[in-house]
Amino acid sequence: MASSVVNLRVNERSREFLAAPGTTLLSSLRDALGLTAAKRGCAQGGCGTCTVLLDGRPVMACLVAVETVGGASVRTLEGVARDGELDEVQSAFLEGFATQCGFCTPGMIMAAEALLDRNPDPTRDEVVEAISGNVCRCTGYGPIVDAILDAAARRRS
Amino acid sequence: MISAVRTPDSVAAAVGHAAAGGWLMAGGTVVMPQVNSGSARSPELVSLRRAGIGGIGLDGAVARVGATTTLAEVEESAELAFLRGAVRTVASPTIRTLATVGGNLFVAQPYGDLAVCLLALDATVEIAGQQSPREAPVGAVLAGGVVPGEVVTAVRLAVPAPGTWFYHKAMRRKLNSAAIVAVAAVVETAGGVVTSARIALGGVAPRPVRAASAETVLIGRPLESDVLEEAGRAARADIAPFDDAYASAWYRDRVLPVHLRRAFLG
Repeated sequence: MASSVVNLRVNERSREFLAAPGTTLLSSLRDALGLTAAKRGCAQGGCGTCTVLLDGRPVMACLVAVETVGGASVRTLEGVARDGELDEVQSAFLEGFATQCGFCTPGMIMAAEALLDRNPDPTRDEVVEAISGNVCRCTGYGPIVDAILDAAARRRS
Repeated sequence: MISAVRTPDSVAAAVGHAAAGGWLMAGGTVVMPQVNSGSARSPELVSLRRAGIGGIGLDGAVARVGATTTLAEVEESAELAFLRGAVRTVASPTIRTLATVGGNLFVAQPYGDLAVCLLALDATVEIAGQQSPREAPVGAVLAGGVVPGEVVTAVRLAVPAPGTWFYHKAMRRKLNSAAIVAVAAVVETAGGVVTSARIALGGVAPRPVRAASAETVLIGRPLESDVLEEAGRAARADIAPFDDAYASAWYRDRVLPVHLRRAFLG
């Protein structure tokens, strides 16, 4: 079957593009829309670096067949900063040395955004659970958890 | 290569596509990895995302859970609050927003912890097909699947009375890891002794299994450590453990009594 036209609202902009059958949301974001923050890691749902928000909920974009979510709203890391200013999560990651190689960072930040959207005052255990699907091979996770708790405090104040 | 992705907006249309050889997909957490690795079993995918079979309803003490209800929705539902602890042991939040209740019935062990719960709950599975809709005990679906062209549309379960639901999952990490042993049970007591018991095990056989031998040991006896250890040893007759990256068959067999006890006594 031929490619189909898919409409999505991505970072609050309507986007329309062609998708070949079986194309993932991740490939569409990266290849059709040029939004390369979400990374292709394992392509199996095991590493979390492709995490984006789909209708407000965090998902592994590599596991979503994009033709099945036409009309949905998607938020990626590119949609987090406002008017060129980093948001609280991004700032906390930067200042807390929560990134090293950076490959997991887009997924970590989106998982954190999803958590803080629903739970502005998470416990450390809740932060750990929120990023339990996101693998980092550099930091040992401690600085990432600290940064997310820091971001929550900044956002509340 | 995938040649088509169908997104039927009704169960009847989904059944039609499935009967024609399409591969049913709900959340995609099992199907899409195979698509991504080029090992999809059919060139045609049939997504149930728009088939209108999601959502949780409660009628008295009986809950009806639509097949495409996500694990995150179960986790957040007031009606199924007793399952919250169990669901939070399944994968990660970013998987639970996609993975579905119906899909969990078709996940290979040692995954499929919710299916273990549904077996302990003796859930009923509602199935649509080209013939009249039918119902089947969840144990039959776990053992034999459904006929090609059939679509699981919902599961029904009786919400257990307070204090009668037990769940414990042993895994290599605290979060986001598969079962070494999972134990789910509905056990009623009166006068300090067990009057009824349904115990299901995960991680210890190719599919979730009832621990009938353990249930027999418990009846008429108190939920105490030595009784539970005895029940756990008896349950070894009900399992067929396997080696995988998480644990060896030997280890699963060895630790089963410990985890069966912990399901009840912590």
